[in-house]
Amino acid sequence: MNVFVRHKIRRRSGAGPGRRLLFLLFPGLVLAALPLLAASLSGQASGDKRIRTVVIDCGHGGMETGAKGKFGTVEKDVTLAIGLKLKALIERNMAFRVVLTRDKDVDVSVENRAAIANNQKADVFISIHANGSRQKTANGSETFFLSLDASDEETRRLAYLENNASQLESHMESTGQDDIKMILWDMAQTAYIKQSSLLAEMIQNELNTLLGTRNRGIKQAPFKLLSGVACPAVLIEAAFISNPAEERKLASEDFQNGVADAVYRGLSRYLRVYS
Amino acid sequence: MAKMDISRKTAVLLAALGLVLLGLVIVFFTGGEREDIRHASDKSPVRAKAADVEPAPTRTVTLFFLSDGDDLLHGEKREIPVGPSASEEAERALAELINGSARLLVSPLPPEAQVRQVFVTKDGIAHVDFGKEITEKASWGSSSELAAVYAVVDTLAFNFKEIKRVSILVEGVERETLGGHVDLARAFLPNYSLVAK
Repeated sequence: MNVFVRHKIRRRSGAGPGRRLLFLLFPGLVLAALPLLAASLSGQASGDKRIRTVVIDCGHGGMETGAKGKFGTVEKDVTLAIGLKLKALIERNMAFRVVLTRDKDVDVSVENRAAIANNQKADVFISIHANGSRQKTANGSETFFLSLDASDEETRRLAYLENNASQLESHMESTGQDDIKMILWDMAQTAYIKQSSLLAEMIQNELNTLLGTRNRGIKQAPFKLLSGVACPAVLIEAAFISNPAEERKLASEDFQNGVADAVYRGLSRYLRVYS
Repeated sequence: MAKMDISRKTAVLLAALGLVLLGLVIVFFTGGEREDIRHASDKSPVRAKAADVEPAPTRTVTLFFLSDGDDLLHGEKREIPVGPSASEEAERALAELINGSARLLVSPLPPEAQVRQVFVTKDGIAHVDFGKEITEKASWGSSSELAAVYAVVDTLAFNFKEIKRVSILVEGVERETLGGHVDLARAFLPNYSLVAK
């Protein structure tokens, strides 16, 4: 008993100066901890947004050759070459998983490309293409994101979903009916239009800087490929394969490396904002 | 002798009269036939002349072509025969779009493309059914596909007040895309932001 009391007394007497020190240091510790706390909270919040998987889509493939050039260059070969270079670049320099929708010359349907992105829980979807026009002189680089060519009623519904991306996902999980699920997946991209436009802008800026091609800017279009992708998604048209001068560029290793590098830099800038 | 002369003269007169009568009869019938034949054979030249003078009524439509100078659609006026329905006029307008420009503009559709039918529903949707050539004979890029789709949509919506939206089919069935880009699942509203001012 005495030992116990003594012990307690000893502890009490020993704690005196420490406590005073703690009282003195407490406000300082709280002040110092606040930024850490805030950082940890924001880290938690942005943890959901953190980019883990990048899906690269090499346009066309197999029987579906895409646009063709005067000298025999076909779009499907150019997109695969650039896609593989971009994959290597991202894997070498960033801690993200990279998934290709195709890594060889095979047919992949437009729907399956979007499905691959969604099944792999892609955080960013980048589709690589080479452009074609009936105007022989058409030239330059451009980056697309989805446009909504919808009726007023649809537009209102989609605008609502655009502001409620998390609800879209819970809708998709809760529904067991395939039809409804398909419809929701069909509209999936509408929830990511703003991020997609930002990603498009950043990639397009880098294409302008690195490629020396004409800047055709960022554009919106009702592309089937993009509409079903449930993450920020862009489609890059590196140059015109229908223009003989640009066809030569597209077929060259240097230009393909340049495109891959520009997309990589644009993606890095985007990730700095969103991760 | 005198009697004989008189009766001979009478006989000659009668014969002459008979000949005249016969001639008149022949002229009456054959002349009538000739007139009929002339009338029948004259009929077609008369009608052809009337057709030259009064041609079938036409109407002016604006077709949207591409220019080498920019990435926009440029309107070009064209005369097409009128009627009997908006669907048939729409088919003619699209055939002209495929035929190409008279001003060195570029047709957004390949020359091999064929319009099988245009059907306009009461709710204002024009279903344009292209033959398989539009997918088989052309290689599409994003730009060419966008230009083709919106040249068709804008040409129809701009010229026909009955048409509010345009749906594109190939060989009578829905397709995902023409060449891997533009989503054909929904009927398109016109997009005049692609048209040069």
